[in-house]
Amino acid sequence: MSSTSVYPTPINAFKQSKRSVLSVIVDNEPGILARIVGLFSGRGYNIEALNVTVVDVKKNLSRITIETLGEEKVISQIIAQLEKLVPVHSATNLANLSESYEAEICLVKIEFENEEQDQKILNFADIYRSRTVQKRQNIVVYEISGTSERINKFLDDLDTIGGIKVELVRSGPIGLGI
Amino acid sequence: MNNENEITGADILLKALKDQEVDTIFGYPGGAVLPIYDAIFGQNFLKHVLVRQEAGAVHAAEGYARSSGKVGVLLVTSGPGVTNVVTGLTDALMDSIPIVCISGQVPSHLIGTDAFQECDTTGITRPCTKHNYLVKDVSKLSETIHEAFKIASSGRPGPVLIDIPKDVQFAKSKYISKKDISFREHRIKAGSKNVDKNFVEELVNHIKKSERPIFYVGGGCLNSGHQASQELIKLVNKTNIPITTTLHGLGCFPGEDKTSLGMLGMHGNYEANLAMNKCDLMINVGARFDDRVTGRLDAFSPESIKFHIDIDQSSINKNVKVNFHSNTDITLTLKEINSFIDSNNIDFGDKNYSNWWGQINEWRKKECLHYEQGDEVIKPQHAISRLYELTKQKDTFITTEVGQHQMWAAQYYKFSKPNRWITSGGLGTMGFGMPAAVGAQMANPDSLVIDIAGEASFLMNIQEIATAVQYKLPIKIFILNNEYMGMVRQWQELLHGSRYSESYVDALPDFKKLAESFNAVGVRAKNISELDDTINEMISIDRPVIADIWVDKKENCFPMIPSGAAHHEMLLSKYDKENPENQEKGKVLV
Repeated sequence: MSSTSVYPTPINAFKQSKRSVLSVIVDNEPGILARIVGLFSGRGYNIEALNVTVVDVKKNLSRITIETLGEEKVISQIIAQLEKLVPVHSATNLANLSESYEAEICLVKIEFENEEQDQKILNFADIYRSRTVQKRQNIVVYEISGTSERINKFLDDLDTIGGIKVELVRSGPIGLGI
Repeated sequence: MNNENEITGADILLKALKDQEVDTIFGYPGGAVLPIYDAIFGQNFLKHVLVRQEAGAVHAAEGYARSSGKVGVLLVTSGPGVTNVVTGLTDALMDSIPIVCISGQVPSHLIGTDAFQECDTTGITRPCTKHNYLVKDVSKLSETIHEAFKIASSGRPGPVLIDIPKDVQFAKSKYISKKDISFREHRIKAGSKNVDKNFVEELVNHIKKSERPIFYVGGGCLNSGHQASQELIKLVNKTNIPITTTLHGLGCFPGEDKTSLGMLGMHGNYEANLAMNKCDLMINVGARFDDRVTGRLDAFSPESIKFHIDIDQSSINKNVKVNFHSNTDITLTLKEINSFIDSNNIDFGDKNYSNWWGQINEWRKKECLHYEQGDEVIKPQHAISRLYELTKQKDTFITTEVGQHQMWAAQYYKFSKPNRWITSGGLGTMGFGMPAAVGAQMANPDSLVIDIAGEASFLMNIQEIATAVQYKLPIKIFILNNEYMGMVRQWQELLHGSRYSESYVDALPDFKKLAESFNAVGVRAKNISELDDTINEMISIDRPVIADIWVDKKENCFPMIPSGAAHHEMLLSKYDKENPENQEKGKVLV
């Protein structure tokens, strides 16, 4: 028998905040990004990450990857409305596919002060198999890729070192369905 | 290559409009469209209607489109010219009306410099158009215009805007005709081309099985063309299934037919709403489960299997989850259903749904549209009923403004053909009706066009009387004058303790004198004895007429489903407050 919680669980907590990664193929033309973003901002939805790049020069196609948090019903409605936009070829919620792969790339610049910090950084970099882009005196730049979660963990681990300065840039997740 | 085949952007636009068989354009000139106006000056295929404010142009284009089934076209200048049409574009988007708006823009090299009469036109109109373009290269102009017309009129229709900088209007290029353009298919969102056979079979099987079926028909049926309505009539005749229409669906099915339950929704008929609530099979033909129609969603038609035909994929499962859907043109789908029934010799003759009709006829006995007309003050309902009786022999087009008069028009005027009823439903734009009447009269010069108006709405675009007078358009403005923003007053009465905050329209003009000052004709009915004569006089005058009909100031529009209530929780009159507990909740809704 399961025990009853002493506090009631608000139903809304379940309704909200499901992470979705949407993949949209569009004609590469002015205004298309604004059209897409408008579907989110008009609902007061935030875009957590966004990636736009031409993927087919000949056909002039771009792929847009959007990470957002939201109620599932609202996300489905956004997808239906994305597909209605004239320059949109297709819109997919990767979460709804049986098989899809995600990756993100991150560049991290770390400034350290002493040998001990350097060792620890090196250690983490090694564990996460990040690539050294540049290293000179007390500055090192790494490139790390993988799922967003993996990058988050790497950054959390770096955080434990203390006394170092970290500056970073992330591409946001990109993904493909199989 | 020589340049002999090259013409200016302005001439390309004109050629493209001719190619698209546009013969009427509504507009207002200004600095950024002067080259186009110059091109209009030297031609004679295109009739330009000079409105008095750009809002008038866009509503006129909507009225033209709705009443003719063609694309409505308007031309406005940059900056304020285009910001003035934002309301109308949004209106056309909500109500799926095909219009193309051409706007001038400051020269390319000045874009982004805060130039005189500059605004970010594509930015401002992006969320209120189906699609929009900024044309920066004159060689792209021809195909852009042709694609714009295609997009505006296909799939779920809507407004499309083309912004043309002044230098592009002067620049030269070759014209490419409509037949030489091949559209990229993904850009024309026209729904699926083939009717889902499974959908058709399931539907027919469910019709056979069901005890309490209903057709729920919306504006999509109208947009699919006259044939959709023909196929619908065939199907209803075959099956004897009751049919209710939304505000925009009025006219898709003959309103006086015995199978018609009239309009449903917030101010819909008692029998229509009850039938929706109790049905076991709902066949939605081109309606979008709007909040004005469904009432409280968790109590919406709880026992029914739902079928939905809609060309707009995003309307399916948006507000109400359905069991079966067809994302195909309504005409195609209904045709397929009819031919399936015919080829399989399915006869519904023995079915007849007699218990269901018995129940519906019980509901009809409530006579939800009953009113008491005394022998002095004109009841607004009576004014519409008389207007209907005195005009039904003619092919009459009715436009409306927004508010009580609009709902009374929908309730008491009966429509037997599509495209005769032109109203602002989704956006609810006051000031829509008069310019829309201008557009409808342009498209139907020999028909009777009447704007059923409230005095408050009418004042919002009153300047367009001058347009009607200039082009000798004999439109009739039939004002139900109660000196109030009636629907606002009604809500204040029902939900805000009769505190009539700012809903009284003080300092009204004398509408008769006002008409005369515009060189139109003014007539007036102050009491019941003058009503019929006034209506007849209005109809007989072959000029624009303003009819000022003084009606009961305190009359409210019933039946009514209060916001937040369900279909079976209707108020039938002001004395019938069955569900007061819902009203506090409903207050926060619109």
